[in-house]
Amino acid sequence: MAQAMVEMVIEGGHRPALAQGLRELWAFREVIWAFAERDTRLKYKQAALGVVWAIIQPLAFLAIFFIVFGRVARVSGGSVSYPAFALAALVPWFFMQTAVSFGAQALLMDSALVRKVYFPREAPVLGAVLSSGLDFAIGLGLLLVLGPFLGTRLSWTVLFAVPLWLILAVIASGTAMTLAALNVYYRDFRYALPLILQLWMFASPVAYPLSAVPGKWKAAYILANPLTGILDGFQRALAQGRPPDLHLIAISAAAACLIAWGGYWVFKRMEPGFAEVI
Amino acid sequence: MAWAVKFEDVSKRYRRRDARYASLRDDLALIGQRAASFLRRTPVEPKGMFALDRVSFEVGKGEAFAIIGPNGAGKTTALKLLTRISYPTRGRIRVRGRVGALIEVGSGIHPELTGRENIWLYGRIMGMSRQDIARRFDEIVDFSELSLALDTPVKTYSSGMQLRLGFSIASHLDPDIFVVDEALAGGDAGFQVKCVDRMMHLVREGRTLLFVSHNLSAVESLCRRGLFLCAGRISAEGDTKDVLREYLRWTEQQAVERWRARPASENSAALLEIVAVSCHGIDGQERFEFTADDPLEIRVRFRAKEPIRGPHINIGITDGRPGLLIHCSTLLRGASPKQVMSEWTAACRIEKLNLMPRVYRIWCDVYGEHGHGLLCDWQEVAMFRIVATDGESPENGKMAITGGALGAAMRSNYQWLHTID
Repeated sequence: MAQAMVEMVIEGGHRPALAQGLRELWAFREVIWAFAERDTRLKYKQAALGVVWAIIQPLAFLAIFFIVFGRVARVSGGSVSYPAFALAALVPWFFMQTAVSFGAQALLMDSALVRKVYFPREAPVLGAVLSSGLDFAIGLGLLLVLGPFLGTRLSWTVLFAVPLWLILAVIASGTAMTLAALNVYYRDFRYALPLILQLWMFASPVAYPLSAVPGKWKAAYILANPLTGILDGFQRALAQGRPPDLHLIAISAAAACLIAWGGYWVFKRMEPGFAEVI
Repeated sequence: MAWAVKFEDVSKRYRRRDARYASLRDDLALIGQRAASFLRRTPVEPKGMFALDRVSFEVGKGEAFAIIGPNGAGKTTALKLLTRISYPTRGRIRVRGRVGALIEVGSGIHPELTGRENIWLYGRIMGMSRQDIARRFDEIVDFSELSLALDTPVKTYSSGMQLRLGFSIASHLDPDIFVVDEALAGGDAGFQVKCVDRMMHLVREGRTLLFVSHNLSAVESLCRRGLFLCAGRISAEGDTKDVLREYLRWTEQQAVERWRARPASENSAALLEIVAVSCHGIDGQERFEFTADDPLEIRVRFRAKEPIRGPHINIGITDGRPGLLIHCSTLLRGASPKQVMSEWTAACRIEKLNLMPRVYRIWCDVYGEHGHGLLCDWQEVAMFRIVATDGESPENGKMAITGGALGAAMRSNYQWLHTID
């Protein structure tokens, strides 16, 4: 075997450097795909309706929002009808919600593997986020098909869905990594997570437009919630046929980087104990 | 010789916690304590026990290396550090080449997916590329003997089938360093033979093998070198035969010490109780060690609550495994006392033990007249050791160490004669 032997050094007491972790993750990128593929297969297999759930969820919420916000509270959809406006934000929001809740559970679901086999521990979390991407694609398809009937203005701006989704996926990954790591140590987060997500949805411009937020609160609202710019962007690009507000997107993108870095940092800090605690 | 794995002063401490899962509340309290002691400038003593304590050793490239030791000695911890499943607290581990592990692989298999999907999934999770799996897929299926069940979900498999699937995937990883930890327990006999063959094959191919097992004869036949871990420290390291000899000596010593430290039994409700048991040599002196040629006299002192007619005493000798090697019964030889009351001593003399050198245990029970009705439960009452006489030469053939310690207990004189036509 004239094969170059790579020497690996495992140092005790040191926390692995973040850059080294990223290199390792890149070397094992195939594993992320493997997890994503498995999660997707399981979604098809285990639930009778399978991927149809990806459509039912946003539609059910759309119905509720339409009645509560559209009819009762009379929230305006701006230049388009309320349902068209709400659906354009519900589809990306449901991606966020599935990605974070599945990602946060990913390590616990695979605890047998974490205890027995080495792979970069980020892989199941990122795999879960990635497999939620399929739900998003289906939701986007729904939006494109159903949207015109609801009154969306289709234009070239739909192409913004891709970069907007990428930023959203970065936010989802960072959040899921933090929660997944905390979940291993503290099971409290399992119970807190649905509540957090519910609150987060109402704190984001999903059911109401950003313009409905009072002027003096707006800056704080945008800075505190990195989803604001993204969801507003989706509403503009997919429902109203306008390009997103680039200032808001820039803020969201910066926040996304910060969240991803912070999530990765927390994850790496807690990672050495995963196999022992889980 | 070039090394493949090198442990340099490696320690591993596990965090001790009261409950298995900490709650956020506990850890917040801990952070509070730490902050308080930091302010008061009193250092917090780290809690937890060392599973490995400054362990250093080297495994040569292409070597089959064994790690043996009692439960909880740190064997699995060492392998987990090597495979990067957990991280060392101190020290440094160097590894040259790719590590593949067989640590209870069956448990990671996903029950909802089919055998085929699992091969693709776990092959990739364990680090195989798609091309590798495609190339070796048939080989994996053949090895697992699951070709008929390949497209049914794994949840319909028996646990043995799941284990076979797991081992097949893991053993076709092509690692340079192969780590095996009791992975073979559970498969049927035929599959176990196949697994050992596979390991032999990998060793012959020049792969390095790290083998953790309680199957000492497998260790002796597979590995040339090894180490004996005990309570996180290395007790012996070197040639497998020496390490095994040391381990067996230690195990025996432990058994004797445990026996000596046993709590006194309280059984005052019984009609008859055993007060004391002792082993005596030909001179009547109490002894612990005997040679195989010595006579052994076992004296049992009983105490009866009321007069008992014709009690029947059974004395058995075992080497710790099921079944008696020697059975001395008053029922068989018709030598029970007519009537006993209060305390009396029964002595049983065995002329020649003819047992192999190791530790033996004496068991005893008492039945009523004609062998009916248990008066005193079957219990372990004493222990003695057979030692080799000076003239005896230890066997030195293949598997001599484990054969001598774990093989047959009876000693016979025999010679081999070969007639070749």
